[in-house]
Parts: sequence; C-alpha cells; structure tokens
Amino acid sequence: MYQLTDVNKLYAKGRHTVPAVRDLTLTVEDGQWLAVQGKTGHGKSTLLNLLGGLDRPTSGTIELDGKDLARLNEDRVTRLRAQSIGFIFQTFNLVPTMSAAENVEAALIPLRVGSAERRRQVQAALDSVGLADRARHLPGELSGGQQQRTAIARALVKAPKVLLADEPTGNLDEDTRDEIINLLEKLWRERGLTLVLVTHDSAIAQRAQRVGVMTKGQLKIS
Amino acid sequence: MFFVTYLRRELRRRMRQAIFIALGLALGIGLVVTVTAASAGVRKAQSQVLKSLYGVGTDVTVTGKAPKPPSLASGPPKNSQTFTVGPGGARVCTNGKCHNAAGQTIDNLGSTSYSPISQSEVAAIARLKNVKAVAGGLALSDTSITLPKHFGQAGGSLPTPASFSVQGADTSHASLGPLSAGTITAGRSLRAADANSDVAVIDSGYAKSHKLKVGSTVTVVGHKFAVVGIVEQPQSGSPPQVYVPLARAQALGKALGKSLKGDVNTIYVTATSAANIPAVQREIENLLPSATVTSASSLAKQVTGSLSSTARLANDLGRWLSILVLIAAFTVASLLTMAAVARRVREFGTLKALGWRSRRIVAQVMSESLTVGVIGGAAGVGLGFAGAAIITAVAPKLSATIAGSTGQGVAFAGAAGGGGPQFFSPAVPHTVAVPMSASVTLAALVAAVVLALVGGLLAGSFGSWRIARLRPADALARVA
Repeated sequence: MYQLTDVNKLYAKGRHTVPAVRDLTLTVEDGQWLAVQGKTGHGKSTLLNLLGGLDRPTSGTIELDGKDLARLNEDRVTRLRAQSIGFIFQTFNLVPTMSAAENVEAALIPLRVGSAERRRQVQAALDSVGLADRARHLPGELSGGQQQRTAIARALVKAPKVLLADEPTGNLDEDTRDEIINLLEKLWRERGLTLVLVTHDSAIAQRAQRVGVMTKGQLKIS
Repeated sequence: MFFVTYLRRELRRRMRQAIFIALGLALGIGLVVTVTAASAGVRKAQSQVLKSLYGVGTDVTVTGKAPKPPSLASGPPKNSQTFTVGPGGARVCTNGKCHNAAGQTIDNLGSTSYSPISQSEVAAIARLKNVKAVAGGLALSDTSITLPKHFGQAGGSLPTPASFSVQGADTSHASLGPLSAGTITAGRSLRAADANSDVAVIDSGYAKSHKLKVGSTVTVVGHKFAVVGIVEQPQSGSPPQVYVPLARAQALGKALGKSLKGDVNTIYVTATSAANIPAVQREIENLLPSATVTSASSLAKQVTGSLSSTARLANDLGRWLSILVLIAAFTVASLLTMAAVARRVREFGTLKALGWRSRRIVAQVMSESLTVGVIGGAAGVGLGFAGAAIITAVAPKLSATIAGSTGQGVAFAGAAGGGGPQFFSPAVPHTVAVPMSASVTLAALVAAVVLALVGGLLAGSFGSWRIARLRPADALARVA
C-alpha cells in the first residue's frame, strides 16, 4: 500500500523554482488500479518517479508498505525497486543490443537469481505476454506492440507488488493499444498488482478503479 | 555469463569506435614498446662499446693525465731526440749532440696521451678497500719515420710516419685488462711465463692487413717479437694492434726521452661489487689526484658519435613522443567513452529503474573500457615488436667515439724549416662501430600491459564517474 503525505517536489529552473507536485496526500491500496491523467508538464511523470523511488520529494513522505522512500538510503531504495516495483515506459526502453529474453533477464540480475532459474522465469514471463517464439529477437526486430510486451514481461518477471506504467500505449496504434491494455488489465487481475498508470487516453483511464487528474502539480481524484 | 554477453554485445554495437580507441592506444603503446626496445638496444650497444674499451671485469680505469707538450723556451727534454733542418741539411740531436739524419730511421715507442704512473701505485690501489683485482698496462704507439737522403734540401719533404699501437699487458692478470674482452682465434694468449719474453699477440685486423700469422714476427722499436696468438676484439674500432708483455713494453718504451721502466699508464681495477664502484673511484681519486679515474658510467658520458646521438634520440625525443601520443590516445579514448556513455543515458537510467546498482553499471562500463584497452595493448605489443624488428633491420651501425681513450698518441719532436717541435698523434680518438639491435624486453611488455590497463581504466573512469552521478529520474526525463 502506498501512503503519500504532504508530498511536494520542486525543481529549480534558472533562478526560479517550479513546483512539479504540490501538497499531495494520497493512499493507493494494494491491488488497486489508479489511472492518472493530466496535461503535459503538470507533474504526472514526476509523481510516477516519486512512487518508484527514482526521485525524492522535496518534502513529505512516500511510504510503500510502511517504508518511506524519501528517507531510505540509495542502496535500499534500489533494492526495493529491484524486488517490488516494475516499470513500463512509453518508449519501451529496451536495451537495443540485448534479445527480448535478455532484456527480461536483466530485471532478475539484481535479485541474484541462478541462471537456470532465470531462464525458467524469463520463459514463463515471455509466455505470459505471448512472445515465447520471439525470445531471441533483438528489439529492432520486433514491432512496437511486441517491444511493449517485452517491456511488460521485463516488469513482471520478478513478480513485483507494484506496476508503474508511464503512457504505456503512447507510441502504439489503436489496435495495439487495446491489445496492450487488455494484457495489462488481465495481468493486473491475475496477479493482484497495484497499478498506477499515467495516460492521456480517457478511454484507458476509464477502465481503472480510480482516476486522478494532475493539474499544476495537484492531484484531484474523481 | 550475462555480464559477458552484455559486454560482447555492447562492444559489437560500438565496434568502429572500439577499434578506433584500441588503435589509438595500440599506437601509443607500440611507440612506448619500440622506444623502450630501441633504448635497450642502445644501452646494449653502449655496454658493448664500454666492454670493448674497458675489457671484461674492469670497473674502474686509471690513466695518467695527458702530458703537456714541452715549450719552446724550455728546450727539448733530456734524452729526447729533436731534428732540425738547416743549411747543412737535416740533423738529429740528443742532449745537444747532433749528427746528420738524412737516410736515418727514427723509431719511437711512447705515449702522448697518458703520463706514466709508477707501478707501485698498482700495488697501492690493490690495498684499497673494496678493490678485488688490479692490473697495470702500458698503452703506447710505435711510430717510425725514415728520413730521405736529400731531406732538408730543396724538394725534400717529411714523409708520413708509420705507426701502430702497442699494448703492454700484465701477463699475470689475464682476466683483467685489454686482452680480457677479446677472443683468441689462433694460437694462445699471453701467459705469466711470458713476462720477460719477446712474444706478442696481435689483433686479427692488424694480422690480416699485414699478412701476419702465429709464428710470424713483428718488430717493435727494432726488437723482434714472435707472434704467439691472434686476438679478435668484440668491436671493429681501433683496438690495440700488438699486445706484448708489460715488462717488455716498459723496457722499450719512452716518455719524452725517459724510460718507462717501472711505469704503467693505465690501471684496470675490479671492485668487490657494483655498488662499491663509486667508492673505489673516489678512493683512487684521493690516492692519485693527478690521474684520470673513469668508471663505465663516467666513460659512458664521454661517448660521442651516432651512438650517443641515438641514445639521446631514444631517451629524450622517443620518450616525449611516446608520452605525447599516449596522452593523446588516453584523451581520445576518454572522450569517446564519455560520448558513448552520454548516448546510453537512457539505457543506464532504465537499468537503474530495474534495480541495478550504480556500481554494477560502472563495472560494466569499466570492463568494456578495459577490454578495449587490453585489445589495444595486445595490438600495441605487436606494433612494438614490428617496430623493433624494423629498427634492427634498417638501422645502420652506430659509431661511438671516445677522445683520448687509448693513449696512442706519440710525441714526435721536430723543427722543420726552423720551426718549433711538432707532435704527432695518430690515433688518439677511439671510434667503435656497433650494430643497433632493438629487442623488446620483459620490462617493455610489463609497461605495455600496465599502460593498456591504465588507458582502459582512465577512459572508463570518466564515463563511470558520470554514471555514478546519474539520477535515474533525470536519465529517464531526458528522453521522455
């Protein structure tokens, strides 16, 4: 469970400070799907970075299962990310020199899983996204939808509690978008994930349990 | 295994850049190896030169200072011969007694390079602390000239004197002194039993040019010496041509009219250890303040000629050139690695988001950089071997010249046309030709490995520093 209390994140831009997230207090229950909408530059991605421990708030607390990500040292935040948080990016962010299987395997490296077990888990993850036959393909040899499926497999291979998705369909056509969202929804239900999904697409947002809109750094849950 | 796969794939992706960096490092390292090999070759050549000049086992050489030529005002030294040319023709004078010299042969065995040193000093040096062995020697030159019958009259000119070098060698110390470095190619060397015999060992070059062999005779100031051996010295410079027992050289030699009995002009000294050579040199300088005391290192400083120029070239220009190329190679490698890291910011940000620790990503980048460094180092060693082989193949023989090293100067007093005394020094500078061979040493290979690792680490460390400071949110925001 996420518990955010009075979270602020300020960025320095020249002589000015710009608030990216303002006075945010929020609870996301385990297994809940929260969709976050909002205009570009209003703090959606910043919120996602704060939830994933990729950035630290200027003030406030961000607790994940009672651990304050704002206070943990870098090593512990990194370990928490490796174990409990999966990321999906708009641009897929696959390592171009690694095959689909190796990209998925990369998520297990920090967990020190043995190579045989890694292979088994990778195979299972690729199976779950329907890409078992593309395991040895490089990202450049895959379509956009297949790349995003690979990224989903990479995010889920370690069986995280939380899945953070930043515009996961932003670079995909309509058919592929539906295919990916359907897949995400299926996995969310099957695995009991806590899903925070940032999107511009209202149709996708409407499928979530809760929808929040970020405006000038403030989140309003509808 | 994952680590190696990732490394291999990244290097393959950046193959052109990796090859470029490796070639830069290879060039720098190859240059260092070549220059080191050339330096080693020059040092070896210097050592050969010094060995040929010094003889095997000699650490310190003591020579008498070059005597000052007698001034006109003081007149000729007692017992010395002078010849004058006047209205009555050419005349030879000894202690004021003169006779007609036309048609006469004047033969002299002496040295204008070194003053005599009493042989008792050899024993005194032997008693010094840290001295292991001592041998005395006489470096002389036999110079003869036959005056034509009409010499001194119109049309009569002074003919060119004939000269050869004679070395008086201590027969009781065969392992020390001028004969020790040579190889007997025929007959035998001088023995202790030859101390007072008219026997000689002659240089192979001199034997060839004068068609001499074992059993022939050579004439030294009118005395016939039986040739008992032919010696070949390590270098093809101008080693002594005739070696005779020291006592015989002392008996026949003269310095400005004075007999050299009981004198030497060169003393060969071996120290108890290499570390004691400077101390021995100082002790001898204190004992014989008027003598010239040289060690191999001090003699090396006097070496001139192409060997010296090559040594300077290899040591100075070569070293600086290597350093400059290495700096350039390291800088280019570092900049290219930084650029590669900059292009992979998103990749590293993603890995951090996946839970990779910074040090793991740093290790990945460092290992990529080190691999390129090691490949560059291996190629550099190959280039170094090739460079050394080219130097050995194309380098001309190097010449080394040491002024006044042999003591083969001969005083020849005369007064042609009423002039003052003339001095004739046929072979004072000693020139030796040595082949230049550059050989890659173990030290050069170690240096290459170290430089390859340093190059790789240096290039990788700049990129790694950037990665360590990279905040994942920033990395991801940059591409979002």
